[in-house]
Amino acid sequence: MRNSDEFADLIREHQGLLYKVTAIYTNNEQDREDLFQDVVYQLWKYFDTFRNESKITTWMYRVAMNTAITHLKKSKRNPHTEPISDSLLHASENKDEVLEERLRLLHRHIKQLNTLERGIMLLLLEEKPYQEIAEITGLNPSNVGTRISRIKEKLRKNMVKS
Amino acid sequence: MELEELQANWVAMSQELENQKKLTNEIIVKMTRNNYRNKFSKLTNYETVGAVICYILTGFIVLNFGKLDTLYLKLSGVLTIAFLTVLPTLVLRALKRIRNLDILQGSYKENLIRYTKEKNRLLQLQQIAIFVSFLSVLFTPALALKLLRDKTLILSQLRPEQGMAIVFVLLLMVFVSRWGYRSYKKLTNSAETLLRDLEE
Repeated sequence: MRNSDEFADLIREHQGLLYKVTAIYTNNEQDREDLFQDVVYQLWKYFDTFRNESKITTWMYRVAMNTAITHLKKSKRNPHTEPISDSLLHASENKDEVLEERLRLLHRHIKQLNTLERGIMLLLLEEKPYQEIAEITGLNPSNVGTRISRIKEKLRKNMVKS
Repeated sequence: MELEELQANWVAMSQELENQKKLTNEIIVKMTRNNYRNKFSKLTNYETVGAVICYILTGFIVLNFGKLDTLYLKLSGVLTIAFLTVLPTLVLRALKRIRNLDILQGSYKENLIRYTKEKNRLLQLQQIAIFVSFLSVLFTPALALKLLRDKTLILSQLRPEQGMAIVFVLLLMVFVSRWGYRSYKKLTNSAETLLRDLEE
Protein backbone atom coordinates (compact mmCIF):
# COMPACT_ATOMS: atom_id res chain seq x y z
CA MET A 1 0.00 0.00 0.00
CA ARG A 2 1.48 3.31 -1.09
CA ASN A 3 1.25 6.04 1.46
CA SER A 4 -1.32 8.80 1.40
CA ASP A 5 1.31 11.58 1.46
CA GLU A 6 2.71 10.32 -1.84
CA PHE A 7 -0.81 10.32 -3.29
CA ALA A 8 -1.66 13.77 -1.93
CA ASP A 9 1.57 15.16 -3.40
CA LEU A 10 0.64 13.69 -6.77
CA ILE A 11 -2.83 15.25 -6.72
CA ARG A 12 -1.47 18.58 -5.55
CA GLU A 13 1.09 18.54 -8.33
CA HIS A 14 -1.46 17.69 -11.01
CA GLN A 15 -4.59 19.44 -9.73
CA GLY A 16 -4.61 21.64 -12.85
CA LEU A 17 -4.92 18.53 -15.01
CA LEU A 18 -7.90 17.31 -12.97
CA TYR A 19 -9.49 20.75 -13.07
CA LYS A 20 -9.26 20.87 -16.85
CA VAL A 21 -10.67 17.37 -17.35
CA THR A 22 -13.56 17.93 -14.95
CA ALA A 23 -14.36 21.35 -16.41
CA ILE A 24 -14.95 20.08 -19.94
CA TYR A 25 -17.34 17.34 -18.87
CA THR A 26 -19.60 19.36 -16.58
CA ASN A 27 -21.83 22.38 -16.97
CA ASN A 28 -21.66 24.05 -13.60
CA GLU A 29 -19.32 24.51 -10.69
CA GLN A 30 -21.17 22.15 -8.38
CA ASP A 31 -21.10 19.28 -10.85
CA ARG A 32 -17.46 19.99 -11.55
CA GLU A 33 -16.56 19.78 -7.87
CA ASP A 34 -18.51 16.56 -7.50
CA LEU A 35 -16.74 15.07 -10.48
CA PHE A 36 -13.38 16.36 -9.22
CA GLN A 37 -13.83 14.53 -5.94
CA ASP A 38 -15.09 11.42 -7.66
CA VAL A 39 -11.95 11.43 -9.83
CA VAL A 40 -9.68 11.92 -6.80
CA TYR A 41 -11.42 9.03 -5.07
CA GLN A 42 -11.07 6.77 -8.14
CA LEU A 43 -7.40 7.68 -8.48
CA TRP A 44 -6.86 6.83 -4.82
CA LYS A 45 -8.75 3.56 -5.24
CA TYR A 46 -6.55 2.48 -8.15
CA PHE A 47 -3.34 4.16 -6.99
CA ASP A 48 -1.76 0.86 -5.95
CA THR A 49 -2.35 -0.65 -9.37
CA PHE A 50 -0.25 1.97 -11.16
CA ARG A 51 2.82 0.11 -12.38
CA ASN A 52 4.91 2.82 -14.05
CA GLU A 53 4.26 1.20 -17.43
CA SER A 54 3.08 4.56 -18.73
CA LYS A 55 3.57 8.13 -17.62
CA ILE A 56 1.69 8.96 -14.42
CA THR A 57 -0.16 11.75 -16.22
CA THR A 58 -1.28 9.35 -18.98
CA TRP A 59 -2.71 7.10 -16.28
CA MET A 60 -4.35 10.06 -14.55
CA TYR A 61 -5.97 11.30 -17.77
CA ARG A 62 -7.27 7.80 -18.41
CA VAL A 63 -8.83 7.36 -14.97
CA ALA A 64 -10.19 10.92 -14.93
CA MET A 65 -11.71 10.74 -18.41
CA ASN A 66 -13.20 7.28 -17.80
CA THR A 67 -14.71 8.51 -14.54
CA ALA A 68 -16.14 11.55 -16.31
CA ILE A 69 -17.96 9.37 -18.84
CA THR A 70 -20.14 7.84 -16.17
CA HIS A 71 -20.63 10.99 -14.17
CA LEU A 72 -24.26 11.96 -13.86
CA LYS A 73 -25.45 15.48 -13.36
CA LYS A 74 -26.92 16.02 -9.96
CA SER A 75 -29.26 18.75 -8.95
CA LYS A 76 -28.41 18.58 -5.29
CA ARG A 77 -25.04 18.49 -3.65
CA ASN A 78 -23.91 15.06 -2.65
CA PRO A 79 -23.78 15.10 1.15
CA HIS A 80 -20.52 13.18 1.02
CA THR A 81 -18.75 15.83 -1.02
CA GLU A 82 -15.94 17.65 0.74
CA PRO A 83 -16.65 21.41 0.60
CA ILE A 84 -13.75 22.78 -1.41
CA SER A 85 -15.34 25.80 -3.04
CA ASP A 86 -13.25 28.24 -1.10
CA SER A 87 -10.04 26.41 -1.57
CA LEU A 88 -10.04 25.30 -5.15
CA LEU A 89 -9.27 27.25 -8.25
CA HIS A 90 -11.93 29.85 -8.18
CA ALA A 91 -9.57 32.64 -9.10
CA SER A 92 -11.98 35.15 -7.72
CA GLU A 93 -9.49 37.57 -6.20
CA ASN A 94 -7.18 38.28 -9.10
CA LYS A 95 -9.62 37.51 -11.85
CA ASP A 96 -8.71 38.56 -15.37
CA GLU A 97 -12.11 39.41 -16.84
CA VAL A 98 -10.97 39.18 -20.45
CA LEU A 99 -9.40 35.79 -19.92
CA GLU A 100 -12.46 34.59 -17.98
CA GLU A 101 -14.70 35.56 -20.89
CA ARG A 102 -12.43 33.87 -23.40
CA LEU A 103 -12.36 30.72 -21.28
CA ARG A 104 -16.14 30.68 -21.09
CA LEU A 105 -16.25 30.90 -24.86
CA LEU A 106 -13.61 28.20 -25.18
CA HIS A 107 -15.60 25.84 -22.96
CA ARG A 108 -18.78 26.63 -24.85
CA HIS A 109 -17.13 25.57 -28.10
CA ILE A 110 -15.71 22.40 -26.57
CA LYS A 111 -19.07 21.45 -25.06
CA GLN A 112 -20.65 21.46 -28.49
CA LEU A 113 -18.56 18.39 -29.29
CA ASN A 114 -19.67 14.86 -28.43
CA THR A 115 -18.10 12.95 -25.54
CA LEU A 116 -15.41 11.25 -27.60
CA GLU A 117 -14.50 14.45 -29.41
CA ARG A 118 -14.32 16.38 -26.14
CA GLY A 119 -11.79 13.89 -24.82
CA ILE A 120 -9.66 14.13 -27.95
CA MET A 121 -9.93 17.92 -27.97
CA LEU A 122 -8.80 18.10 -24.35
CA LEU A 123 -5.71 16.04 -25.09
CA LEU A 124 -5.03 18.02 -28.25
CA LEU A 125 -5.19 21.30 -26.33
CA GLU A 126 -2.87 19.74 -23.77
CA GLU A 127 -0.47 19.29 -26.71
CA LYS A 128 -0.28 15.54 -26.27
CA PRO A 129 1.34 13.66 -29.16
CA TYR A 130 -0.96 11.49 -31.28
CA GLN A 131 0.62 8.35 -29.81
CA GLU A 132 -0.34 9.38 -26.26
CA ILE A 133 -3.83 10.45 -27.34
CA ALA A 134 -4.19 7.02 -28.93
CA GLU A 135 -2.95 5.32 -25.76
CA ILE A 136 -5.46 7.17 -23.57
CA THR A 137 -8.47 6.98 -25.88
CA GLY A 138 -7.94 3.51 -27.34
CA LEU A 139 -8.05 4.80 -30.93
CA ASN A 140 -5.24 4.02 -33.30
CA PRO A 141 -2.85 6.90 -34.04
CA SER A 142 -3.94 7.36 -37.67
CA ASN A 143 -7.57 7.41 -36.57
CA VAL A 144 -6.65 10.08 -34.03
CA GLY A 145 -5.31 12.24 -36.88
CA THR A 146 -8.47 11.82 -38.93
CA ARG A 147 -10.69 12.63 -35.99
CA ILE A 148 -8.68 15.69 -35.05
CA SER A 149 -9.11 17.07 -38.57
CA ARG A 150 -12.86 16.49 -38.30
CA ILE A 151 -13.03 18.11 -34.88
CA LYS A 152 -11.14 21.16 -36.14
CA GLU A 153 -13.52 21.44 -39.07
CA LYS A 154 -16.52 21.14 -36.76
CA LEU A 155 -15.13 23.77 -34.41
CA ARG A 156 -14.36 26.10 -37.28
CA LYS A 157 -17.96 25.84 -38.49
CA ASN A 158 -19.31 26.42 -35.00
CA MET A 159 -17.08 29.43 -34.55
CA VAL A 160 -18.22 30.95 -37.82
CA LYS A 161 -21.85 30.45 -36.75
CA SER A 162 -21.37 32.07 -33.34
CA MET B 1 -12.33 33.02 -32.05
CA GLU B 2 -9.87 31.03 -34.15
CA LEU B 3 -8.44 27.63 -33.34
CA GLU B 4 -5.08 29.18 -32.55
CA GLU B 5 -6.83 31.45 -30.09
CA LEU B 6 -8.45 28.45 -28.44
CA GLN B 7 -5.02 26.94 -27.96
CA ALA B 8 -3.59 30.22 -26.64
CA ASN B 9 -6.45 30.59 -24.17
CA TRP B 10 -6.02 27.02 -23.04
CA VAL B 11 -2.33 27.64 -22.39
CA ALA B 12 -3.23 30.81 -20.45
CA MET B 13 -5.71 28.85 -18.37
CA SER B 14 -3.12 26.12 -17.69
CA GLN B 15 -0.66 28.76 -16.58
CA GLU B 16 -3.27 30.33 -14.31
CA LEU B 17 -4.03 26.95 -12.79
CA GLU B 18 -0.35 26.29 -12.22
CA ASN B 19 -0.12 29.55 -10.29
CA GLN B 20 -3.12 28.77 -8.16
CA LYS B 21 -2.51 25.38 -6.69
CA LYS B 22 -4.72 25.65 -3.66
CA LEU B 23 -5.45 22.09 -2.71
CA THR B 24 -3.71 21.04 0.44
CA ASN B 25 -2.69 17.51 1.40
CA GLU B 26 -5.27 17.66 4.17
CA ILE B 27 -8.14 18.33 1.77
CA ILE B 28 -6.95 15.60 -0.60
CA VAL B 29 -6.73 13.03 2.18
CA LYS B 30 -10.24 14.03 3.31
CA MET B 31 -11.53 13.50 -0.22
CA THR B 32 -10.14 9.97 -0.32
CA ARG B 33 -11.51 9.17 3.14
CA ASN B 34 -14.95 10.46 2.31
CA ASN B 35 -15.51 7.26 0.44
CA TYR B 36 -17.24 9.32 -2.22
CA ARG B 37 -20.30 7.42 -3.23
CA ASN B 38 -20.78 6.60 -6.84
CA LYS B 39 -23.40 8.87 -8.38
CA PHE B 40 -25.47 5.84 -9.20
CA SER B 41 -25.88 4.97 -5.52
CA LYS B 42 -28.71 7.40 -5.05
CA LEU B 43 -30.51 6.20 -8.15
CA THR B 44 -29.95 2.58 -7.12
CA ASN B 45 -31.36 3.32 -3.67
CA TYR B 46 -34.58 4.66 -5.18
CA GLU B 47 -34.81 1.73 -7.54
CA THR B 48 -34.12 -0.74 -4.71
CA VAL B 49 -36.87 0.74 -2.54
CA GLY B 50 -39.20 0.60 -5.56
CA ALA B 51 -38.24 -3.02 -6.23
CA VAL B 52 -38.85 -4.03 -2.59
CA ILE B 53 -42.34 -2.47 -2.73
CA CYS B 54 -43.01 -4.37 -5.97
CA TYR B 55 -41.86 -7.66 -4.40
CA ILE B 56 -44.05 -7.08 -1.32
CA LEU B 57 -47.06 -6.45 -3.59
CA THR B 58 -46.17 -9.60 -5.54
CA GLY B 59 -46.14 -11.58 -2.29
CA PHE B 60 -49.53 -10.13 -1.38
CA ILE B 61 -51.05 -11.12 -4.74
CA VAL B 62 -49.52 -14.62 -4.59
CA LEU B 63 -50.85 -15.19 -1.06
CA ASN B 64 -54.34 -14.06 -2.07
CA PHE B 65 -54.37 -15.58 -5.54
CA GLY B 66 -57.14 -17.96 -4.47
CA LYS B 67 -59.56 -15.01 -4.24
CA LEU B 68 -59.28 -14.39 -7.99
CA ASP B 69 -62.23 -16.36 -9.23
CA THR B 70 -62.61 -15.38 -12.89
CA LEU B 71 -60.32 -15.94 -15.85
CA TYR B 72 -59.96 -12.16 -16.29
CA LEU B 73 -58.90 -11.68 -12.68
CA LYS B 74 -56.52 -14.65 -12.78
CA LEU B 75 -54.93 -13.32 -15.96
CA SER B 76 -54.69 -9.84 -14.42
CA GLY B 77 -53.02 -11.38 -11.36
CA VAL B 78 -50.46 -13.29 -13.41
CA LEU B 79 -49.64 -10.25 -15.57
CA THR B 80 -49.28 -8.00 -12.54
CA ILE B 81 -46.99 -10.49 -10.81
CA ALA B 82 -44.89 -10.71 -13.98
CA PHE B 83 -44.58 -6.91 -14.30
CA LEU B 84 -43.89 -6.44 -10.60
CA THR B 85 -41.06 -8.95 -10.53
CA VAL B 86 -39.43 -8.88 -13.97
CA LEU B 87 -39.09 -5.13 -14.60
CA PRO B 88 -37.59 -4.03 -11.26
CA THR B 89 -35.17 -6.95 -11.40
CA LEU B 90 -34.04 -6.00 -14.91
CA VAL B 91 -33.66 -2.33 -13.96
CA LEU B 92 -31.58 -3.23 -10.88
CA ARG B 93 -29.40 -5.51 -13.00
CA ALA B 94 -28.88 -2.77 -15.60
CA LEU B 95 -27.90 -0.29 -12.86
CA LYS B 96 -25.53 -2.83 -11.36
CA ARG B 97 -23.84 -3.33 -14.73
CA ILE B 98 -23.36 0.43 -15.09
CA ARG B 99 -21.99 0.73 -11.56
CA ASN B 100 -19.60 -2.13 -12.15
CA LEU B 101 -17.97 -0.61 -15.23
CA ASP B 102 -14.31 -0.91 -14.41
CA ILE B 103 -12.78 2.51 -14.90
CA LEU B 104 -9.28 1.11 -15.17
CA GLN B 105 -10.13 -1.70 -17.53
CA GLY B 106 -10.29 -0.65 -21.13
CA SER B 107 -9.64 2.59 -22.89
CA TYR B 108 -11.73 5.73 -22.99
CA LYS B 109 -13.30 4.56 -26.26
CA GLU B 110 -14.14 1.08 -24.94
CA ASN B 111 -15.65 2.46 -21.75
CA LEU B 112 -17.62 5.02 -23.69
CA ILE B 113 -19.08 2.27 -25.89
CA ARG B 114 -19.90 0.10 -22.87
CA TYR B 115 -21.42 2.96 -20.92
CA THR B 116 -23.50 4.24 -23.84
CA LYS B 117 -24.86 0.75 -24.51
CA GLU B 118 -25.71 0.14 -20.86
CA LYS B 119 -27.32 3.55 -20.54
CA ASN B 120 -29.41 2.83 -23.63
CA ARG B 121 -30.50 -0.48 -22.13
CA LEU B 122 -31.51 1.25 -18.92
CA LEU B 123 -33.44 3.93 -20.82
CA GLN B 124 -35.19 1.24 -22.82
CA LEU B 125 -36.23 -0.56 -19.63
CA GLN B 126 -37.49 2.65 -18.08
CA GLN B 127 -39.43 3.35 -21.24
CA ILE B 128 -41.03 -0.09 -21.11
CA ALA B 129 -41.82 0.46 -17.43
CA ILE B 130 -43.75 3.66 -18.27
CA PHE B 131 -45.85 1.87 -20.88
CA VAL B 132 -46.47 -1.11 -18.62
CA SER B 133 -47.50 1.02 -15.68
CA PHE B 134 -50.10 2.72 -17.86
CA LEU B 135 -51.28 -0.55 -19.34
CA SER B 136 -51.76 -1.85 -15.83
CA VAL B 137 -54.50 0.77 -15.38
CA LEU B 138 -56.63 -1.54 -17.50
CA PHE B 139 -56.59 -4.37 -15.00
CA THR B 140 -55.24 -3.29 -11.62
CA PRO B 141 -58.42 -1.49 -10.43
CA ALA B 142 -60.44 -4.69 -10.78
CA LEU B 143 -57.63 -6.73 -9.24
CA ALA B 144 -57.20 -4.36 -6.29
CA LEU B 145 -60.95 -4.18 -5.65
CA LYS B 146 -61.15 -7.96 -5.57
CA LEU B 147 -58.09 -8.51 -3.41
CA LEU B 148 -58.71 -5.67 -0.94
CA ARG B 149 -62.51 -5.65 -0.65
CA ASP B 150 -63.48 -8.92 -2.26
CA LYS B 151 -65.72 -7.04 -4.71
CA THR B 152 -66.05 -7.45 -8.45
CA LEU B 153 -65.69 -4.42 -10.68
CA ILE B 154 -68.54 -4.36 -13.17
CA LEU B 155 -68.09 -1.74 -15.87
CA SER B 156 -71.83 -1.39 -16.53
CA GLN B 157 -72.38 -0.47 -12.87
CA LEU B 158 -69.80 2.30 -12.84
CA ARG B 159 -70.99 5.74 -11.80
CA PRO B 160 -70.53 8.49 -14.49
CA GLU B 161 -67.69 10.17 -12.55
CA GLN B 162 -65.87 6.84 -12.28
CA GLY B 163 -66.25 6.33 -16.03
CA MET B 164 -64.95 9.85 -16.63
CA ALA B 165 -61.98 9.16 -14.40
CA ILE B 166 -61.09 6.05 -16.42
CA VAL B 167 -61.34 7.98 -19.71
CA PHE B 168 -59.20 10.76 -18.24
CA VAL B 169 -56.54 8.28 -17.14
CA LEU B 170 -56.55 6.64 -20.57
CA LEU B 171 -56.11 10.02 -22.28
CA LEU B 172 -53.34 10.96 -19.88
CA MET B 173 -51.76 7.60 -20.64
CA VAL B 174 -51.70 8.36 -24.39
CA PHE B 175 -50.28 11.84 -23.82
CA VAL B 176 -47.54 10.81 -21.35
CA SER B 177 -46.59 7.77 -23.43
CA ARG B 178 -46.15 9.89 -26.56
CA TRP B 179 -44.11 12.44 -24.63
CA GLY B 180 -42.01 9.71 -22.99
CA TYR B 181 -41.43 8.00 -26.31
CA ARG B 182 -40.25 11.21 -27.98
CA SER B 183 -37.89 12.06 -25.14
CA TYR B 184 -36.56 8.52 -25.23
CA LYS B 185 -36.02 8.64 -28.99
CA LYS B 186 -34.15 11.93 -28.70
CA LEU B 187 -31.82 10.53 -26.05
CA THR B 188 -31.20 7.22 -27.77
CA ASN B 189 -30.72 8.83 -31.19
CA SER B 190 -27.85 10.92 -29.89
CA ALA B 191 -26.42 7.83 -28.16
CA GLU B 192 -26.76 5.82 -31.40
CA THR B 193 -24.92 8.53 -33.33
CA LEU B 194 -22.13 8.45 -30.79
CA LEU B 195 -21.94 4.64 -30.95
CA ARG B 196 -21.79 4.68 -34.76
CA ASP B 197 -19.04 7.25 -34.58
CA LEU B 198 -17.13 5.19 -32.01
CA GLU B 199 -17.42 1.97 -33.94
CA GLU B 200 -16.23 3.49 -37.23
